[in-house]
Amino acid sequence: MCTAGLMTAARPSRGTRLVLVCLAAMLAAASAGAQDWPDRPVSVAHGHVTVGGDVTVTVGSGDSGYFNFTDYERSTLRLVRFDAVTTLRANGHVSGVIELRAEGDSAAGNWSADAYAAYLRVQPWTGRNFEVQAGRIPTAFGGFSRRPYGNDNLLIGYPLGYQYLTSLRPDAVPGTADDLVAMRARGWLAYYPVGEQYWTHGVPPMSIFQYDTGVLAKAGIPAARGELSVSVTAGTLSNPGVGDHNGAPQVAARFAAKPVPGMLLGVSVASGAFVAREVRDVLPEDAARQQYRQRAVGADAEISHGYWLVRTELLSSVWRLPALEAPLITEPLRATAWLTEGRYKLAPGLYVAARYDRLLFSDIQSSHGVTTWDADLWRAEAGAGYSLRRNVMLKGSYQYNRRDGGRVKAASLAAAQVLLWF
Amino acid sequence: MVLRRSGIAVGLLALAAGVVGAAQQREPLAVVRGRVEFARAIAAPEHRPSAVDPGGPIESDALNRRRAVVYFDAAPRGAFEDRESARVSLDQRNETFVPHLLAITAGTTVDFPNHDRTYHNVFSLSKAKRFDLGRYAAGNSKSVRFDRPGIVRVFCDIHSHMNAFILVFGHRFFAVTDQDGRYEIEGVPPGSYMLSAWFEGAVREQRPLTVTGDTRAVDLGFTVR
Repeated sequence: MCTAGLMTAARPSRGTRLVLVCLAAMLAAASAGAQDWPDRPVSVAHGHVTVGGDVTVTVGSGDSGYFNFTDYERSTLRLVRFDAVTTLRANGHVSGVIELRAEGDSAAGNWSADAYAAYLRVQPWTGRNFEVQAGRIPTAFGGFSRRPYGNDNLLIGYPLGYQYLTSLRPDAVPGTADDLVAMRARGWLAYYPVGEQYWTHGVPPMSIFQYDTGVLAKAGIPAARGELSVSVTAGTLSNPGVGDHNGAPQVAARFAAKPVPGMLLGVSVASGAFVAREVRDVLPEDAARQQYRQRAVGADAEISHGYWLVRTELLSSVWRLPALEAPLITEPLRATAWLTEGRYKLAPGLYVAARYDRLLFSDIQSSHGVTTWDADLWRAEAGAGYSLRRNVMLKGSYQYNRRDGGRVKAASLAAAQVLLWF
Repeated sequence: MVLRRSGIAVGLLALAAGVVGAAQQREPLAVVRGRVEFARAIAAPEHRPSAVDPGGPIESDALNRRRAVVYFDAAPRGAFEDRESARVSLDQRNETFVPHLLAITAGTTVDFPNHDRTYHNVFSLSKAKRFDLGRYAAGNSKSVRFDRPGIVRVFCDIHSHMNAFILVFGHRFFAVTDQDGRYEIEGVPPGSYMLSAWFEGAVREQRPLTVTGDTRAVDLGFTVR
């Protein structure tokens, strides 16, 4: 579990500085290789090394309700990101992929840098769509998670299911249902009495801001015009990362098909141990023997034609937590995220887009009666994008958030973004 | 001399309006021919690297990308009088534009047929011509008429590795090289000219040329470094 929420150092760590230096070197090399600011991936060493990049600068409203925060200190409406993806190709069968990413908040700073992805890729057969990836990899789950870069996102905000911080933490759990309900709408900064004894942010149903560690196999299925991906990773959808925190792997799978041109259909499943080892170590013996898993299913669809693009996605996640003291948490905790988004191109380089997004939580019985275990919310966001050049885009968006609980129940927020990619 | 894209764009625009050379009608006409050689390897197109979908080298016809355009910087007098509307095709096949380089005269209509199983979305944000054809399926075709000289970079909004160049000239004194790098420009009247060899977004070499009344053929080579 990342504890960066309250523990971010004023000076970047040695690791952060190292990644920042590497990132700067890669972007400089890419720029020099292209003899100009590149507008397509830069390939050197006879195609053995290819570098692509993505720079995003976002300025936006202050979000006192923490609707758009990815941790305690960073909002997607103020996100500044430098991202470089490098592929190192040894031959037609073996290659490596490294993605270095530095992120900060345009208002608050809080810079961090990380090797977001770093894996070995093996394609045993030339001409067959089959590959194995091992290392820090994207999990085989979800539709929006396949579009992680700024120019893939029609708007500026991220879907709730991939970004909104629920009150759940893998490194600390509530002792009672009352403990859990007390943290409703407090996912940006939550505390529970069992496990790690500090305040930090909760986790989203699926995090798009970290990759997991493990192995992924992907195979094309021509008869179904589709592709099947299966991954085994150390973390969970909510809490991916480096290293094993929970003592059991997560298995995830996704099948995506294009039955006809212009249509993409996907289904995903995942199951993995959610509660961290440090919590299990302090649980009573009976409770410590059980598995507390996160299970999720997802479905997504995309249809496009002419100047229209429409997507919809459903993500349902269930977490099971220890039942320790009355009032007990006996039922699995469910969160269901649903979004629909669309884009229409008005003119060459100019589009408008909108997204409607809901995140609903299941009921729980506490001393105060029956309530949802976290506060339901919805978001509507609309905006426009204008491409100055093919790879330089300006975006603006406005969003309205409404939440059934918390100190701030509604927020109208605006943001603007400059995006460059190559 | 190597000019940047903006430079060549200005050059092409000037070319539309400028007339150099004292050519007279009915004077003997010459043929300018030669070869453009490549002193460096031509990089294969690449997918944009992505951790989710790392892609790899695109299977494309290398010869499709090994084409240059040789053209007159300033056209002979009368060059603008023999324009005729034409229709050519820029195909989408195997997630590649074929040909990768198209040279046309202003007024030409270009068809963009989709011969892939997947959708494509041809667009350009170039000053010479901004257009977006939207997404359309295999078997369909859309077209664009190019009326203004300049460089038009063409992309697919769905497949970021797909790109092509359309060079729109105000006259007919240009040629795209063949598979061996050879070009031939016919019907050149006497006069002094500057020829440019253009490749992948920039003029790579320029060479002066004088055609006299006795000249029947001129051999002029270029090198792309």
